[in-house]
Amino acid sequence: MRQRHTAIRAAMLVASAALIFTACSKVGATAAPTGAASTEPSSAASASAAPSEAAASIDPNDLLAIILKNGVIRVGTDPAYPPQSLLKPDGTFEGFDIDTANEIGKRLGVKVEFVTPDFSVVEAGKWAGRFDISVGSVTITKKRLDNLDFTSPYYYTPAQMTATTASGITTLDGLAGKTVCVGEATTYYQWISGTLALGDGSALAPVPAGMKVTTLKTDQDCALSVKSGRHDFEGWLSSSTTVAAALAAKTPMIIVGAPVFNEPLAVATDKSGPPHAALQAALDRIIKAMHADGTLSASSKKWFDGLDMTVAQ
Amino acid sequence: MSANATLVPGGPEAPILGQIRASQRAARSSFRAKYFATWFVILAIVGAAIVATGNAEPDFTTTWGRYILEGAGLTVLISTVSIFFATILAVIGALGRLSSNGFINGAASLYVSLVRGTPLLVQIYFVFYALPQMGIVIDPIPAGIVALAFNYGAYMTEIFRAGIQAVPRGQREAAESLGMTERLLMRRIVLPQAVRIVVPAIGNDFVSMIKDSSLVSVVGLQEILWRSSTVGRSNSQLIQALLIAALVYWALTMFFSYFQGRLEHRLALSDVRL
Repeated sequence: MRQRHTAIRAAMLVASAALIFTACSKVGATAAPTGAASTEPSSAASASAAPSEAAASIDPNDLLAIILKNGVIRVGTDPAYPPQSLLKPDGTFEGFDIDTANEIGKRLGVKVEFVTPDFSVVEAGKWAGRFDISVGSVTITKKRLDNLDFTSPYYYTPAQMTATTASGITTLDGLAGKTVCVGEATTYYQWISGTLALGDGSALAPVPAGMKVTTLKTDQDCALSVKSGRHDFEGWLSSSTTVAAALAAKTPMIIVGAPVFNEPLAVATDKSGPPHAALQAALDRIIKAMHADGTLSASSKKWFDGLDMTVAQ
Repeated sequence: MSANATLVPGGPEAPILGQIRASQRAARSSFRAKYFATWFVILAIVGAAIVATGNAEPDFTTTWGRYILEGAGLTVLISTVSIFFATILAVIGALGRLSSNGFINGAASLYVSLVRGTPLLVQIYFVFYALPQMGIVIDPIPAGIVALAFNYGAYMTEIFRAGIQAVPRGQREAAESLGMTERLLMRRIVLPQAVRIVVPAIGNDFVSMIKDSSLVSVVGLQEILWRSSTVGRSNSQLIQALLIAALVYWALTMFFSYFQGRLEHRLALSDVRL
């Protein structure tokens, strides 16, 4: 009797596992095959699927060909980085970066699927084929060029320092010797550490003497820490757009000093991924077109309080 | 005293028994009332204290509650599939640990010692980030399942081994004296009795794994904790978000624990004193 009970239970377990596995594989099946599956005899039927793309013949091993064949491009994004990208209650995303990525997908003629890796994973390259491109406000720096390939910039932001109202600091030099919070693996961390070299070689303001740095997972977490009443640091350095959004959300901080540098932000692809020369060319073409026809400007004005951040400062 | 004792066999019950039963019932319900009242009061006080901090936006729960709740699907999926594979690993591991073959025993013991000796979080990072460096890239959900199953398999190996060893030696000796082969003995005598010890432990581990599955949020799986911490951070409503997550986990735990309790009761029926 007891044997039958456990046998029935075991059978139910196996049956439900089988059901779950089919559901699971359906969920996992949204991941497009990576370049590792280069045995794919994919024909370049890609050209017909891309309305705005030139009908050039594409190397079938190129990531672009794989994306066009699957009809889906996987874009890395940050789920909590307003106003660049933010999660909505129905599980989809919205924001400047999201709109840019959706427009890129539209112009390539493919669907866009958003994936949410940590920024430090995106920044380091070697994505292991888990996503195809990153449209996540990644700054072009000389060090990142070792691991990532960038398009031409799609917008530019100044890096803005802020100080907590509790600290009473009102000037940039007032933060000398103090602790500043930044997001992990960001250019803001690199600036304070003295290791930042922007891709376009533009100038950086000198770092106030003895400034210390502390990191949290993303920029937004620094603002959140201050907003919830913690006093772990005196300053926060992030892009002016993120700062503006945080201040609008009543974070008790004030802007101090002029921007410390201006950074060009671009779409990134993994250097160690599958060959992607055609993808790079296509992305560059699309971004240039989006600049030219005003799509990026309009989007910028929508998300950044009427400011057009898409021209270099 | 048995509830059916009668003064005359087959006759009516003594009236005193009715009174005893009534007073026992009253004591039980008074106990239960106090028990649940205490729960309610403490939770209400804690809830009120949190709301009184003044940072709680009232419509956060209505906007995001459903999104966070939907993460429960992935949590239960990952836990169920993981416990299934962990059980398989545990059976293999337990037989390995009981084996007289040095190679097999050594391999099984290394597995148990190594996996129990390293943090689950480290193992999750390893499967997700380190394996790709060796050329093995696993999709996020299967990666979470692999890490959890591998980890829990080691713990459950020891439980299974103890279960098999806990079957009284006399059972084995009696079976052998009846002329049963080793395989028949295991299949008909030892394993069925070991299962009585082991099945509640699987249920226990399943409930525990529901909570441990929250660790896979660090590799971006959109289960309960990932969803609640992400939307809580974006909207500066972490208190509400994490409370919702805690309540969902608690509800899941209570739900599965109830069934596990019934299973344990069913399996222990032979031990009830009549």
